[in-house]
Amino acid sequence: MSDTEIVERLKGDLGARALEIANPDRRRIFLKVAPADLVAAVTLLRDRYDCAFLSTISGLDAGEAFEVLYHFASPVTTIHVRTATPRSDPRLPSICAVIPGAVLYEREIQEMFGIVVDGIPDGRRLNLPDDWPDGVFPMRKDWKHVRPEEVIPGGKP
Amino acid sequence: MSFEIPIGPQHPALKEPISLRMTVEGEVITNADIRLGYNHRGIEKVAEEKNWTQNIYLAERICGICSHSHATCYVQGVEKLMELQPPRRGLYIRYLVSELERVHSHLLWLGVAGHEAGFDSFFMYVWRDREIVMDLLEMITGNRVHYAINAIGGVRRDLDAGQKAKVLEGVATLKKRSEYYLNLGGTEPSFVARIAGVGRLSRELAIALCATGPTARASGVARDVRKEDPYAVYDELDFEICTADTCDVLGRVVVRIKELLESYKMIEQMVRNLPAGDIACKAPRKAKPGEVVSRYEAPRGENIHYIRANGTDRPERLKVRAPTLGNYPATVEMLKKGFIADIPLIFAAIDPCICCAERAVALIDARGGETAVVRMSDLRRQAIARHLNAPVKGNAAWPL
Repeated sequence: MSDTEIVERLKGDLGARALEIANPDRRRIFLKVAPADLVAAVTLLRDRYDCAFLSTISGLDAGEAFEVLYHFASPVTTIHVRTATPRSDPRLPSICAVIPGAVLYEREIQEMFGIVVDGIPDGRRLNLPDDWPDGVFPMRKDWKHVRPEEVIPGGKP
Repeated sequence: MSFEIPIGPQHPALKEPISLRMTVEGEVITNADIRLGYNHRGIEKVAEEKNWTQNIYLAERICGICSHSHATCYVQGVEKLMELQPPRRGLYIRYLVSELERVHSHLLWLGVAGHEAGFDSFFMYVWRDREIVMDLLEMITGNRVHYAINAIGGVRRDLDAGQKAKVLEGVATLKKRSEYYLNLGGTEPSFVARIAGVGRLSRELAIALCATGPTARASGVARDVRKEDPYAVYDELDFEICTADTCDVLGRVVVRIKELLESYKMIEQMVRNLPAGDIACKAPRKAKPGEVVSRYEAPRGENIHYIRANGTDRPERLKVRAPTLGNYPATVEMLKKGFIADIPLIFAAIDPCICCAERAVALIDARGGETAVVRMSDLRRQAIARHLNAPVKGNAAWPL
């Protein structure tokens, strides 16, 4: 099945729920949905488009909102489901019930961007240390790393 | 009663810092948990402060074994963003190094697998032959580990006729040896008995948990980016996806050796059909605003980079997903209901010393927790109960 056929089929299946469909390159389809439709869209992709393989989830700090992309791959194409959540109340539903392999990626966007993933089966931190302060999310653009001044024990003051 | 055994992040037997928490009942693992982050370096954040060229060298340092994979995945994405068409000769040299890197990585893994299974002569044979491909890589790129051959728009070094002949000669030797290892790895009785049936991952679980690379292919999932989403030169090459359906460590060994043979085929094709012309074109300093998803089949599985440009000389966002992260959920499933003694095999490169880490002094009932002297009838009852909850280990099959 070619990319144009898949795009047409997606338009028919999702109707108004597909906010935007683009096919900028061969085997690259970008689909935009609202967070409320995310789980339905992912279920549809898994069952009818053979997209059971989730490559990863990327987050992006776009100022007023956080953009999140779910990168799916099928044997013939890749579909990238984009969604956005406002910075003031960042929330997304968990897709682990549909794609069990998504849990590590959801944990990652949760700790790196501070997006609350509702219904995540395991909400612990993944990469950040245990003593990392709450409410500080390093992949947001307003977080800058400041290197602490090095103190040599027993060195000159 | 179950015990929780912490392994790592700093452990004398671990080769890389990772923290594992094993819940064990007797000798059987009932649960496993992985905690990451000990080696987290914040590379995605650093990448936003460096320009497009500096990021090639940053991406190369994500991994020390498949360094070329990350650099290539990044570079092919940036070339798409900048709308560059690298010359064919440059692409052939770039993906020639990719396949040589796959050969060196698979040989390294094979040696480690032999070592963990207690077959040390296999390990020494394989690592001796790995030197051949390491020397070839050094001859082509100038380095043994971080090749630094990629540039935006092509590669940095050309290949001459003498080097081409040496690559073909080295690959011919390796091909002969790998066929011998395939025969040995599949038929040597004690080696097969040790690895067959260990670390089972069913096809359904491999799909549900989004396993990738040889791990998925050994469970019968024919998933390979080089075939599904052929980038650059791969649609011009003749090769097969290697799979196995034994779903265990034996299958992973067989898949990797078969992939070696496919890689030799591809290397020969690329060297023989190397086009004439330039090796690189000039790249602009800035990229137009846009986004690109770059996929690459690294030795361990699918490597994916998501790059967003904002019109400056720096990326707005560089998201990197290395194949090992994608395989962790599957690894946890493989460890469950296995034996402690199989952890090193399943985790392959990790060699934890479990018996030193946790040792009970009193005679303790593993389920009830009370210290007591038990009667023979109790022992028999417990033995039956234990048998009902026996770990899953398939019988050693002889697939070859």
